[in-house]
Amino acid sequence: MPSIIQISNLTKKFGNIVAVDHLDLEVEDGEILGLLGPNGAGKTTTILMLATVIRPTEGTATVGGFDIRKNPEKVRELFGIVFQEPKMLWVSTPWDIVNWHAKVCGLSTEERKRRVKEVLESLDMWEHRRKNVHALSGGMRKRVELAKVLVQRPKIAIVDEPTAQIDVVGKHRVWNMLRRLRDEGSTLILATNELYEADELSDRVAIMHRGKLLVCDTPKTLKDSIVGGDIVEIQLENDASAKIVEELKNFKEVVNILQVKPCILRLYLNKVEEVVPKIMNTLVKKNVPVTSIHMSEPSLDDVFAHYTGLTIEEAQKSGE
Amino acid sequence: MKAIMHIVEHDLRNFFRYKWWLVGLISMNLADLFIMAIVYNYMVSSAVIAQYDTYFKFFAPGLTVTGLFASAFMIGREINMERRREVHHYMLSLPMTRMELAIGRVLSGGIRGMIYMSPLLLTCFVFLGFPTVWELLVILIVLFLMALGISGLSIAIAVSTASLEKFITARGLVYYTLFFCSSVFYPLSLIQQLGAEGKFPAPLVILAEVNPLSSASDMIRSFLLPDLPAFSYTSILNVVVFSAIFILSAAFAYIKILER
Repeated sequence: MPSIIQISNLTKKFGNIVAVDHLDLEVEDGEILGLLGPNGAGKTTTILMLATVIRPTEGTATVGGFDIRKNPEKVRELFGIVFQEPKMLWVSTPWDIVNWHAKVCGLSTEERKRRVKEVLESLDMWEHRRKNVHALSGGMRKRVELAKVLVQRPKIAIVDEPTAQIDVVGKHRVWNMLRRLRDEGSTLILATNELYEADELSDRVAIMHRGKLLVCDTPKTLKDSIVGGDIVEIQLENDASAKIVEELKNFKEVVNILQVKPCILRLYLNKVEEVVPKIMNTLVKKNVPVTSIHMSEPSLDDVFAHYTGLTIEEAQKSGE
Repeated sequence: MKAIMHIVEHDLRNFFRYKWWLVGLISMNLADLFIMAIVYNYMVSSAVIAQYDTYFKFFAPGLTVTGLFASAFMIGREINMERRREVHHYMLSLPMTRMELAIGRVLSGGIRGMIYMSPLLLTCFVFLGFPTVWELLVILIVLFLMALGISGLSIAIAVSTASLEKFITARGLVYYTLFFCSSVFYPLSLIQQLGAEGKFPAPLVILAEVNPLSSASDMIRSFLLPDLPAFSYTSILNVVVFSAIFILSAAFAYIKILER
């Protein structure tokens, strides 16, 4: 797929603090790119630069063929943003906020009325449309923020922590709406520190830490890139002998074996789906009865830990 | 043009959300006029206000201008609040040019000032006399131009001050300097006389002379009250210069400071 956004050497400094550090990244047309990282990783600053809200200190980006420095007006026409913190004055009402946003984005009166009603209904906000924002819960405010982009249907939608403060049922509904937005032709940049959300939604994930891009690829490729990332826990009927442990170590995919209990072996390996049948065959041939077997793939948390040496929670704390 | 109108709509809608607060403020202004001006009438030397008939008639145009000033300045408080809550990120991300955004904000501040001021101006007409159509047109144009300047000034202050505390302090300084070094509360001729006698600092006399609030108040007085010297149209220049400076300041501040 062709790139709709090309970021090159993008840097933002606030005094001595480097919020975004020489970022190079491409976003493909029609994809959902997850921008993953703890708070303070530089995700929001990157987004604000792309949306021409703040100026880069160095470097630039082209969005839909327009340079963010030279043609900011053209760039803004392509974007719709769901901000991390809902950006609204508390005396406004959801209907006014979403309707005005749609008007500014150039929707015709008929289309605007139809879409605003449709989106507010789908987000369970239609009943609350005339309430002042200060009377709404945090989750409701976030839904109003989200409604702006869903009504706008921009060429590129940036969603910063789209499901923060939204309950579990609501989260799934929002994810489906974002997928639909992608399927209707929008490109999405999803900034999040929720690993599961990034994994669920993203076609590709870019991991950022301390202003730098560490890696960018599909979630599957990223997980597969961790050597010994797959884990298989085998419980044997009897204690495992040293000989059988050695036998299992001979498989080239097996990186390490930990004897958790005398009868439980934890194998760290690659290509779990290919090697597990071979292991089972060996155990059967050697007459080693198996009670249970449990397999798990690495998560994006493992990927993050692999590249940063920190879990996302630890990175969050060190960034605060 | 469409984008500017959207911004004006946004700001006017917010203005009318505080309608009861506005009613309260206008009532307070009218109470100022009807209580303070009547009491002051008996306190002030009759020689000073003789040409205006009563202090009430002198003060009503001044109060109208201060009402316009305070209400046009309100846009700055909202923009400062937007900045503190980072709502300005949203405004800056909208599909319009920075110039359209800045002009929209200045224009809406000015229109809000005119709306707020209209009952006060009407009160002047009722108690002092009605102007001719030409005079009315001049009054409205000059006051609107001044409202735009005030709006620009408040926006420039709002985006240059990060905290509400600093904004309120700056607003207080501007209010008191411009209100009290003007002909809003006392005739310019009295200030000039005190200055000549060394009883009032010379720089403040100059400030009172070039202050657009003085020009606007004296313009309304000269149109509505008989027996006053004819209004000098050149004094409108003060208002024009004031507006031009602060409209440009607001645009510059919006474009340069917020985007940093």
